[in-house]
Amino acid sequence: MTEFNNERPFIMHVDLNSCFATVEQQARPMLRGKPVAIVNRRTDTTAIVTASYEAKVLGVKVGMKLREARLLCPDIIGLESDPAKYRFVYHKLLDIMHDYSAHVTMKSIDEGVIDFHDTTAAIRGRNLEDIGLEIKERLKTEIGVWMRCNVGISTNRFLAKTAAGLHKPDGLDIITPGNLREVLKTLKLTDLTGIAGRNEKRLNSVGIYTPIDFLNADVVTLQKVVFKSVVGQWWYKRLRGWEVDDVESDVKRVGRQYVLESFDLSYEQILQRLHHLCESVGSRMRAQNKAARGIYVYAKTLDRTYWHASSMSQIAFCSDQTVFVQAQRLFENAPTNMREIGIHCYELENIDDPQLSLFKDQIVRERQITGAIDDINKQFGERTIHSADTLGTGIYVKQKVPFGSTRYL
Amino acid sequence: MNDETFLNERINVVAVFGEGLNPCRPIRFRRPNGREIEVSEIGLRHPSTQGKRIIHVFDVTDGGADYRLEFDSERLTWHLKMESDHYD
Repeated sequence: MTEFNNERPFIMHVDLNSCFATVEQQARPMLRGKPVAIVNRRTDTTAIVTASYEAKVLGVKVGMKLREARLLCPDIIGLESDPAKYRFVYHKLLDIMHDYSAHVTMKSIDEGVIDFHDTTAAIRGRNLEDIGLEIKERLKTEIGVWMRCNVGISTNRFLAKTAAGLHKPDGLDIITPGNLREVLKTLKLTDLTGIAGRNEKRLNSVGIYTPIDFLNADVVTLQKVVFKSVVGQWWYKRLRGWEVDDVESDVKRVGRQYVLESFDLSYEQILQRLHHLCESVGSRMRAQNKAARGIYVYAKTLDRTYWHASSMSQIAFCSDQTVFVQAQRLFENAPTNMREIGIHCYELENIDDPQLSLFKDQIVRERQITGAIDDINKQFGERTIHSADTLGTGIYVKQKVPFGSTRYL
Repeated sequence: MNDETFLNERINVVAVFGEGLNPCRPIRFRRPNGREIEVSEIGLRHPSTQGKRIIHVFDVTDGGADYRLEFDSERLTWHLKMESDHYD
């Protein structure tokens, strides 16, 4: 049986509180102390991306529509997100974290993990709680006085993140084998990162209703009955402070989605927006030096149905035009009354992979043209050159902050 | 109520270039209508790009309203891009 990990806690999770709203309150002092909601588009039906603590106290939640939030909090201030600002704060936070260890992993735009295992002896010799407090202080002096973060310290990423969520906002907590049970007693199963509806049901089905029950469960039950895979063993170790989440994932797909700004657009207008998304996806792929073989498009309708179509090509592609031609072909069967459209490219491979092909000359020519366009856009700004078809879509389909991925920051 | 006015006014700015984490600090600016505004706090300074041109964005306040100033580091020009007030 695996015992608890008794090593000194060397993993620190840093999480900016209500990141985008806090950054806006930092940038615009008149917003401080007021309920603020960050949205990607300032309309009543748009979903809230981040709410300030003042709004959260009044019941406003992330994902809620601005119109619903106004019912709870009539004075709420809806602001359109400003990605450049958040990217700046992200890089500042990353710089601060890198001062303590070379092993820093950003989990998303507003949270990251510092692994102190292989850092310098001088830093390892310090109390990690002091370093956590120092990071909090540095956020205030190097970004601004309104900035706050939660810090969690433990022996693995999972418990460090759990610790960071214990006292929001501006908390600092440490989870050790000594206080693990006490901490878990205060939590619900769904408070644990990775346990949502489906996993909760699985656990409930074998009589596990609380994190303490989860901790007490034996590895065989978790592996053979609950998760029916090695995942059960991972959970068993994770809950005991052993590291199982230190894995880097490769880019598997690149995509974008867009909720239509109006629901009475013609099919041609929707195609223009799809074209815009294709240009964006193509440029993101090329920025990662990737080309795709698979393409997947989907649409959600006003009556909440989900439609999708996909295709695979023999030859990898990465130009905006090829992405659009394929997406357009798939979209011919799309339903009417669309509410949201999206596209993903998958089966990615490196652009530089030399592949013999009958169409080699054509591909080389296409890549030279897209390369030249990318260079011009890099020099003079995004979308300096783009298809004439998407001339009028830029004011609607704006570049927003990608959640859950830091690849494009 | 959120009251943001988006502008593109060329403005005259008095700024101090000094040491520290924020070496450039606008302290006062004059708008084309002659109104002078004293900056009481710089909320955030962040860089933004227009192609390869770096634009430094300063979000500042005079204690009554928030303003967004942009300094084009290639052309050495200042613009007032946004004013927001009357949050109550």
